[in-house]
Amino acid sequence: MPVASTNPQSHTATDEQHMPRRKVLAWLTSVGLFGSAVLSAVSNLVFIKPRATYGQPARFAIGKPDDFPSGTRISLDVKRVCIVRDGGRMAAISTTCTHLGCIVGISDTGFACPCHGSRFDQDGTVTGGPAPKPLPWFKLSLAPNGELEVDKGTMVEPGTYLNV
Amino acid sequence: MRLALAIASFVVLIVHGVVFYDQFFYRWERHQTAYFEQARSLSKNERERAELDARSPRIEQTIVTSFGDTRVDRCTTCHIASDDPRFAGHAQPLKSHPYSAAMGDVQRNGRWERRHKFSDFGCTVCHDGQGRGLETKYSHGEDEFWPEPLTGYVTQATWRKDFAAKLKGNTYMEANCAQCHTAEDFAGTPSVNRGRKLFYAMNCYGCHKIDGMSEGTLGPDLTEAGKKFKIDYLWESIVEPRANLASSFMPKFNLAERDVRALVVFLKSRRGVNFAETSLDRYKAHVENVAVVIPPGTAGEKAGEQLITDRACTACHKLGDRDGGIAPDLSYEGLIRDNLWLMDHFTNPRSRVPDSIMPTFRFPGEDFERITAYLGTLKTPPPAMPPADTYKTLCARCHGEKGDGEGKVAWYLDPAPRDLTKVGFMNSKPRERFVASIQEGVAGTSMPSWKNALKPEQVNGVLSYVLTTFTKEPSREIKPHNVPDQNPVASSATSIQHGEAIFLERCTGCHGRKADGKGPNSLDITPKPRNLRNAAFVASVNDRRLFDGILYGVQGTAMPSWIDYGLSKNDVGDIVNFIRSINQKKGSQQNAGQ
Amino acid sequence: MSTLLPETKPEKGAWSALKEMPSNVWSSIFRNPLPSTDLERASTSFTNFFLHIHPVKVHKNTLRPIYTMGLGLISLFLFFILVATGILLMFYYVPSTTQAYDRMLDLRGTVAFGIFLRNMHRWSAHGMVAIVFLHMCRVFLTGAYKKPREFNWVLGVLLLLVTLFLSFTGYLLPWDQLAFWAITVGSSIAGYAPLIGQQMKFVLLGDTTVGQEALLRFYVLHVAVLPSVLVLLIAIHFWRIRKDGGLSRPEQPQCETAVVKMTLEPAKKKVYGLQGFVRGPFTKVGNVPDDSVYAWPNLLLAELFVFVLTVSLILLVSLAFNAPLEEPVNVMHPPNPAKAPWYFLGLQEMVSYSAFWGGIGIPGLMVALLLIVPYIDRGTKGVGRWFAKERLLANTIFLTLVILNVIFIIIGTFFRGPNWAFVSPF
Repeated sequence: MPVASTNPQSHTATDEQHMPRRKVLAWLTSVGLFGSAVLSAVSNLVFIKPRATYGQPARFAIGKPDDFPSGTRISLDVKRVCIVRDGGRMAAISTTCTHLGCIVGISDTGFACPCHGSRFDQDGTVTGGPAPKPLPWFKLSLAPNGELEVDKGTMVEPGTYLNV
Repeated sequence: MRLALAIASFVVLIVHGVVFYDQFFYRWERHQTAYFEQARSLSKNERERAELDARSPRIEQTIVTSFGDTRVDRCTTCHIASDDPRFAGHAQPLKSHPYSAAMGDVQRNGRWERRHKFSDFGCTVCHDGQGRGLETKYSHGEDEFWPEPLTGYVTQATWRKDFAAKLKGNTYMEANCAQCHTAEDFAGTPSVNRGRKLFYAMNCYGCHKIDGMSEGTLGPDLTEAGKKFKIDYLWESIVEPRANLASSFMPKFNLAERDVRALVVFLKSRRGVNFAETSLDRYKAHVENVAVVIPPGTAGEKAGEQLITDRACTACHKLGDRDGGIAPDLSYEGLIRDNLWLMDHFTNPRSRVPDSIMPTFRFPGEDFERITAYLGTLKTPPPAMPPADTYKTLCARCHGEKGDGEGKVAWYLDPAPRDLTKVGFMNSKPRERFVASIQEGVAGTSMPSWKNALKPEQVNGVLSYVLTTFTKEPSREIKPHNVPDQNPVASSATSIQHGEAIFLERCTGCHGRKADGKGPNSLDITPKPRNLRNAAFVASVNDRRLFDGILYGVQGTAMPSWIDYGLSKNDVGDIVNFIRSINQKKGSQQNAGQ
Repeated sequence: MSTLLPETKPEKGAWSALKEMPSNVWSSIFRNPLPSTDLERASTSFTNFFLHIHPVKVHKNTLRPIYTMGLGLISLFLFFILVATGILLMFYYVPSTTQAYDRMLDLRGTVAFGIFLRNMHRWSAHGMVAIVFLHMCRVFLTGAYKKPREFNWVLGVLLLLVTLFLSFTGYLLPWDQLAFWAITVGSSIAGYAPLIGQQMKFVLLGDTTVGQEALLRFYVLHVAVLPSVLVLLIAIHFWRIRKDGGLSRPEQPQCETAVVKMTLEPAKKKVYGLQGFVRGPFTKVGNVPDDSVYAWPNLLLAELFVFVLTVSLILLVSLAFNAPLEEPVNVMHPPNPAKAPWYFLGLQEMVSYSAFWGGIGIPGLMVALLLIVPYIDRGTKGVGRWFAKERLLANTIFLTLVILNVIFIIIGTFFRGPNWAFVSPF
C-alpha cells in the first residue's frame, strides 16, 4: 500500500518520477470505469425494453380471404382490428379510439366510440366528437400459405387496400 | 496497486464489451435474414419484394391460450418458413412443415390447407419442446432439465444410450394427439390404442392405477405418467423394471419392441387432466372404464393353456420352463390345489391367502373357469427322485436352496416361508407336525398340501433331508408341556374383553394393535410375528397349539414364554377366545360361543 | 436601495451568471477542488456527502490488505451489485406460480442481458453469504469484537442472519425444482423449532406447504422487507465503526522505528484539532507517534480497488457460469436427494442425525454463542492481530466450530446422494 503524500519527506525523487506514470494509470482507470459505466447504463436501457411482448403479437393471421365475403365489416375485439372487405379489396382498420384508447364499435355510418362519443366514418375519418386523428389502417398482406396477415406494427395510408 | 487497479478496471470494461456484443448477434437473426433473402428471390412481384425488404429480424411468437396453460411458442422465430409452402424442399430450420392427410390436412384446388393451424395451435402442443427458448439447446429440450424434449426427435444426453435410437420417430407424437383425440379407436393414434389394449391384456391394470381405467395399488399410480416421466424412463421401467428401483417387484414381461413402444406412447399420453374433457366426461369415463369388460380369450380345447400365456400369468408364476420369479410354481397345481381354491383365488386372491399380493384381475368368469380347468389337469406328479432333488424341484423356490427361507419368491410371500435352518424352532417341534405341514399344507399361507403329489415315503425322505442338511442338529427330546387340548375357558363377552385387554397390554408391541402382525417391533424380528387376523390360519390351528405357543413360547422366534411373565392358563384362555373372536366371519358372531 | 439596484445589476448579473453558470454549478456540486494540501484532504471527508462516512485520517493498520482483506467492503459492494441487478430483474419477474418459471425462461431466451443479470445476481448472492461469513471469521480471529466494539459485533451477527435469510428467500423465486424443494426442506428445518416452529413455518409460508402464498411472501421479504432491514443494519454497523474508534488495531504500536518518527512532527501540528475531533476518546495527541494517513486518497483508492476487483470477479464468473435453472416445479415428484441451499446443507446434514438438535438446538446455540461472545470474552489482549497467542483458546474454539460447520456443509453438498445415503463424488 503506497501511502500518498502524508509527509513532505516522501516527496522524493522517485516519487516525482512516478507522477507521470500515476497520471497515465489514473487516466486508464477512469477510462475503464467510465466506459463500463456507459456500457452498463446503455445495456440497462436495452434490458428494460422488451423484445418479445406478453400480450397478443403485433403480427397475426386472421384466416383466408374466402372467410370474409364481400361487404364484410367484422370487428375482432380481442385483436382490436376491424377487417373490411369490399369486393376484391380488403383492409384492416384499427378499432382503438384515437382519443383515449377505448374500443370503438361498428355503427351504421362507420365507427362510434362508447366512451366520449367520437364518431368516425367507414374509412375511419373523424366525423364528430373529441377524437383528434382518424383511425389508423394497418398493413394487411397475404402470407405465402394463403392466409391474411395483419401487422399492427406497420401502418399504411388510409385507403390502401389489398387486392385479393 | 494503481497498475492493478487500471488492469482490473479494463477487465470490467472488456467483460462489459463482450456481454454487450453477445447480446446483439443471434442465430435466429441469421436464419431470418436468410429467409428474407431466399423469399425475395422466390417472390413474384415488386410489392412482395418491398414487403420483405421492410421486414427486419425480430422474435416471432404464437400465444396459445386454448390448451390448458398459456403457451408461448417462439419456434417460428427460427422456423420462420414453417407455413410457407415454397420452402418445402429447404433444409431445417427454413423448411416448411409438411402437409399430411393423416393430420387432417386437405387439398383444395391444388392447395393444401391445414387442419391444425399453427396460429391457433402453436407448435409445442404437438411437438413438445420449450416454446419460449430461442437457442436450440433449450428450445428443442436438449437441456436435461426440460421435462418435454421434442418428442420423437430429441434424446437428452442423460438418457440411456442403448434406448436412444428406439425413442425416435413420429410414433411418439401420437401421445400428444391423444390429448384431444381421446376416442379409443381413433385412427390417428394406432400406437396409443394398441398400448391401451396391452395395458389390459398384459395385466398392467392389476397393479397400476390410471384414473378412470384401473384401480391397482401394488405399483405406482400412472394417471399422470406422461407428465411425470420422460419416455426413456418409461421405456426403461417396462424393459428393466429394477433399473430405476432395485426393490421393484414388477415382472419383466419380455415384450416385443413394438409392444414396448406402444405402451410407452400410451403411457406418455397419460397426462392427468385432459383439456379436451370436462369433469363430467371424466366421471363418465371413470364409471364406464372401471366396469370395463375384458373380452374373453380364445375358446376351445387349449383355451386355458393359451390364456395363461395371453394373460401373462407366467410374468410372475412359474409354469413349465417359463418363470416370472415372483409367485409360486403352477406346474403341479392340479395336485396341490383344488378347483374351488383356484376359483376363489382368482375372484379374490385374498380370500384364501389374506396377505397375498396377487392383484384382482377383471377377466370374464369364463376365462377363469378355463384357466382353472386347465390348471386342474396338471396332475402329473413329479418323478421319483432322491430327496435332495425333490427338495430342489418343489421346495427351494420358496424355502431357498440353503433352506434358509430365502427362496427366489420368498420376498413376495406373506407369511414368509419357514427358515428351515432355525435350529431352535426346528428341533422343538415333533416330527408329526412337519409331516402334517407338508402333507396338508398350512392354511392361509402359500404352503400347499403335497399329499397328492408326494407319497408318504417321499415326504419322509424330504423331511429327513431337511433336518439333516439344514437343521443339522438332532431333534431334542421334547418335554410334553402341560397344556389343555381344549380351551378350558368358555368364550363369552367378558372373556373376550379380558383377553383383548391382556392382548393390548402385552402383545401389541409385536403383533400390532390390530393383531395383524405389524406392531412397531415387527420390523426387527425374523420370522415376522404371526398375523392373527389370518382367519384361515387361525382356524387351522387347534387350541393346544395356541396354548403351547403362548404359555411356553415358540422356540427360534421372538415369541417368549408368557408363563414366565405371569400369564395364567385362564388368561391365555381369554386371549385365545379373543383371537378366535376377531377371526369369526361377520354374521356368525352370535355362534361364537358354540 | 432596493429600487435602484435592480435597474443596474440585472443585465450584467444575468449575463455573468449565465457565463459563470457551468463553473457555479460545478462548484456548487463539488465544493472543493481536488485536494492538494492536507487541510483540503481533511475537508474532503467533511464536505462530500458520499465521503463523509469516512474519517479524515485512518490508521495505517486499517489499510493493510492482509489485516482486513477488504472482506467487509466486498460484502458491501456485493450488496450494491445485488440491489442494482435485483431492481433490474424485478422489471421482468412475476411472483406467480404459473408465471415465475416462464419468466426465468424468458430471461434466458428473449430479454437482452437477462441471463447475464440473473447470473450476476445469483453469484453475488452466493458470494455475499460466503464473504459475510469470512468477514465474521476475520473479525473473530483478529479479536476485533472486544471492547468497545462488542455491540458492532452483535450487529454483524444480525447482518449475517439477515443475509442468510435474504439469500434463502431469493432461492425460491425461480420456482424450479431446485428452488421448490430446497425451500420445502429449509422451511421444514425451521419447523423443528420447539413451540413456535410450526407456527413460524406457517406464517412464513402463508400455507401449510410451499405454494403461491409462499412465493408471494418470499418475494415481498426478498425485495422489500429484508433489504430495508439490511440497509438499516449496515448503516448502524458503519456508523458504529467510526464511533467505536475505527477498525481495531494492536494496542501498542508494534515498533517505533524511523518511519514512525518521520510522521511524528508534521502530523502533530496539522492534525491536532481534526483528529481530536474525530477520534474521540481514543486520541492520544502528541504523546504517541501518529500512524495514521489521510483517507483521501489512501482509503478511497483502496476502496476503489476492492470495488473494481469485486465487480470484475463477479462479471467474469457470470460470463463463465450460468445460474442453475432446473425442471419446472413438480409438486408430486421431489428430486432425490432434495437439498437445501448450500449454506444450510450443514444444518440439513445435522438434521439427518437429529431433527431437533440439527435444526434448532445446535444452530440456536451457535447463534446465541456468537451473540454473547464479546460479553464473555473480556480479555483485552491480542486485539488487532491475526491468531494472537493470547487468544489461543478462543480462536481454537471458534475455528473448531467453523471447520466443523464447513465439513458438514461439504459432506451435505458433495457426499450425499439419493435417500441421503453417503456417496463419493469421485
